[in-house]
Amino acid sequence: MKVLTSPSLWIVLLVVLAVALIPMIANLPALREELFVLLMLIILASSVNIIMGYTGYVSFGHIVFFGIGGYTGFFLVQTLQMHVALAALIGGGVASLIAFLMGMPVLRLRGAYFALATIGINEAFRTLVTNIDQLGGAVGMLLQFSVYDAYGGAKEASQLAYYGIILVALLTITASFMIKKSKFGLALMAIREDQDTAMVLGIDPARAKVMTYAISAFFPALAGALFFFKNGNIEPGPAFELHRSIEALVMVMLGGFGTVTGPIIGAFVYERLRGFLITDPTFSNAHLVISGALLLIIVLFVTAGVIGWLRQQSPVLRRYLE
Amino acid sequence: MSKFPRLLWIGVLLTALILTACAAPTAAPTSAPPTKAPAPTTAPVAATSAPAAATKAPEATKPPAAATKPPVAAKKLLIGFTASQTGAQQVASKKQVEGLQLWLDDVAKAGGIKLKDGTVYMPEMKFYDDESKTDRVQALYAKLINEDKADFLLSPYSSGLARAAAVVGEQNGKVMITAGAADDVTMEQGFKNTFQLYTPASRYLTGAADMLMKIDPTAKKIAIVYEKDAFSTSVANALKPYAESKGLNVVMFEGYDTGATDFSPFINKISATNPDAILGGGHFADGTTFAKQLYEKKIPVRFVSLLVAPPEPTFKDIGDAAQYIIGPSQWEPQVTYSAESAKAANIPYYGVSVKAFTDAYVAKYKDTPSYHSAGGYAQGLILQKAIEDADSVDPAKIVAALDKMNLMTFYGVVKFSTDAKTHGKQTAHDMVYMQWQKDSAGKLITNIVWPLEAKSADGQLRK
Repeated sequence: MKVLTSPSLWIVLLVVLAVALIPMIANLPALREELFVLLMLIILASSVNIIMGYTGYVSFGHIVFFGIGGYTGFFLVQTLQMHVALAALIGGGVASLIAFLMGMPVLRLRGAYFALATIGINEAFRTLVTNIDQLGGAVGMLLQFSVYDAYGGAKEASQLAYYGIILVALLTITASFMIKKSKFGLALMAIREDQDTAMVLGIDPARAKVMTYAISAFFPALAGALFFFKNGNIEPGPAFELHRSIEALVMVMLGGFGTVTGPIIGAFVYERLRGFLITDPTFSNAHLVISGALLLIIVLFVTAGVIGWLRQQSPVLRRYLE
Repeated sequence: MSKFPRLLWIGVLLTALILTACAAPTAAPTSAPPTKAPAPTTAPVAATSAPAAATKAPEATKPPAAATKPPVAAKKLLIGFTASQTGAQQVASKKQVEGLQLWLDDVAKAGGIKLKDGTVYMPEMKFYDDESKTDRVQALYAKLINEDKADFLLSPYSSGLARAAAVVGEQNGKVMITAGAADDVTMEQGFKNTFQLYTPASRYLTGAADMLMKIDPTAKKIAIVYEKDAFSTSVANALKPYAESKGLNVVMFEGYDTGATDFSPFINKISATNPDAILGGGHFADGTTFAKQLYEKKIPVRFVSLLVAPPEPTFKDIGDAAQYIIGPSQWEPQVTYSAESAKAANIPYYGVSVKAFTDAYVAKYKDTPSYHSAGGYAQGLILQKAIEDADSVDPAKIVAALDKMNLMTFYGVVKFSTDAKTHGKQTAHDMVYMQWQKDSAGKLITNIVWPLEAKSADGQLRK
C-alpha cells in the first residue's frame, strides 16, 4: 500500500475534502446542494476515466450504473426500510455484478462497437425498468416522507447523503489513483496502447477489462443510490439519462484523459461553464452545442486535457499532478 | 501543424475556459426574471397603493386613520420557484410563468396584499432555469430558500420536477403551491406544506369515460393507448378500473415509448379489436401524431380523447384530423365559473373573473391563455387568498388557511385534502373536456363539451 502514502493523492483528497466541508462548517445549505451535484459529477467522470482513460474503452452508456444503483438503493430503502448506506453498498454490488456479467461479452468488442453496445445496454435497462411494475414502471417510485424520520428528519437525511457523497468521491479518487499506480493499472494502459502487444507480454486483457469495468460501475451506483435517496423520487428517464454519460466523457477529456486529477478539474470547469452557459441569454439554448464544440477542440488540439497539458509543461508538475 | 499555431490554440482555449469559469457566479443560475417588468420595487408601490386602494370598495371602508398616515411602504414578499426555460417542459412552463406574471401585475395594480393591521406585502418573483431536469431542481430550491430567503415557493412545471422540489420545500418547512403537477403519488407522501392546484392525474380521463357513456350509450369497448411516462401511465392506470367499473370493456391496454412517432402497430391492433372509443395519449408531440395517423388510416372509432395535446391551440394545425378530438383540460377560456355559480354552490368566489383574466392575458401576451397559464395565475391567487385569510405571512397560519380553503375562482373550485396521508392533494377542482369542432363556416374551434353544466356546445361523435 505504498501508493497510499503518495503526497499527490493526499493533496487531491485534502483539497476535495476541504472544499466539500465548507458548506457544513459555514452552514451554507445552498452551496451544499451545488457541491452535491459537483461531487456526483466528479464520481461519474472519475469512474468513466477508470474504464476509458486507463483502458481506452469509451463507455458512452456508463450512466446505466448510476441508474442501477439508484433503483436498487431506492427499492431497498423504500420497501425494506434498509439503511441508505447498506442499500447503496448493495446497489454498488449489483451494478458491479451486472458490469462483470455484461462486460464478458461486450468488452470483446473494440472501438466504436463497444461504445455503441454501452448505449444499447443503457437503453435496454431503461426500457426494462419502465416495464417492471415492482419498480414503479414508467411512473417511478417516490420515497414515503416518513422514511426520513429514521434519519432524524428530511434535513438530516439530506446531510447524511451529502457526507455519503463526499466519502464516495474520496473513495473514487483513491481507487482511480491506486489503479493507476498499480501493476494492474500498467496492464490496463498496455491494453489501451496496444491490446495485441499486451497479450504477448502475458496480460489477460479480457480479465483485466472486465475487472476494470466492474470497478468503474461500483462508484456511480453508490452516487445514484445517494442522489435518488436525497431526491426522494426516481423515474426511468432521469435515472438512465444518456446525455449525462456524454457530459462525463466531456469532463474527462477536458480535464485530462487517463489522469486522476483531470476528471476532478474537468467536472469543476464543466459544471461552472454549464452554469454560465445556461443562464446566459445568448447561450442558454445552445449549451450542449458549445459542449460539443469544446469536446471537438480538445480532441483536435489539447488531446491530453488541462492536467495532461500541465504535466507536459514541467517535470515538477509531472511529479505531483497525477 | 507547426508548434506555434498549436500552442496558440491551446492558449486561446485555456484563456476562454478560465474566463468563462470565472465569469460564472458561484451559484450559476439566473436570478433576474427574463420576463419584462417583474414586481415593482417598494418605492413605486408605496406611491401607487393609495389610488389603487381608492378604486377598491373593500379598501375604501378601512379606518380613516390609514388615510391620514403617509402611504405604508410595502414589504417585499419573495416567491421563489424554478421554471423550465430550456428542455422538454419549456413550452408549458413558459405559459405558467406568464400566468403568474399577470397575477403579480394585478397585485401591483391593487397596491399589494393588505393585512388588517395595515401591513402591505408586495410579492416579487424570483426564479431559475431548471433545464427541465431533476438534478438541478433541488440545488436551485435550496438556493431559493437559504440564499434568496424566499418566503413562499411555487412548483416547477411537471410532476417529476415538482416531486423533487417538494422534498426540499418540506425539508425546510416552506409552503409550496404546485401547478403543472397532477401526479397523484406525489401528493400521497404525507407532505405538510405542499398544496396541489391541479386535478390529480387519476381523474384526467375518468370524465371522458362518463361522457362517452352519455353521448354514445351503445359504446361498450374501449382501447386505452398511452405514453409510458409517469403522468400518462398514472392516468391510464386509474382509467382502466374506472371504465371497467362502469361496465366498459377495455379491449386494448397498451403503452408506447416517449418520443414515439410511428403508431402503426397500435393502430393495426386497434383495427383488430374494433373498439368504440380510444382514450389515452401522452404529451403534445405524440398526441398530435397519434391523432393524425388515426385520421389518415380512417379508423372508424366514434370517440377519441387524448391527453395534453388537444387543449393546445396549435393542435388545430393538423387540420381535419383535429376535428372531434376531445381533450381533458384543467381550464379553458369558455369555463363558466362565476360569482353566481359560486353562490349556487354555496361557496365564496374570489379574485378576477374568467373574462377579465382572459382579456388581460390576451392584451399582454397576444395569445390565448391555456390551462397552464391559468394554473400559473391561480398559484398566486390562492397564495394571496391564504395570506389574506391568515392575516399573516407566518407559514403555520398560511397552512391552516389553505387547509380551511374551499372557494371558487376563475380557475374553478379549490379545496385541499386535510387527511394526513394525502394532505394538500386537490379534492374539489374538476376537469373540463374540450372538443375540436367546426363552426358554421367550417373553421376549427374548441368548445367545452363536458361536464354538462359547463358545456358551451354538445359533444359530437366522429363520423
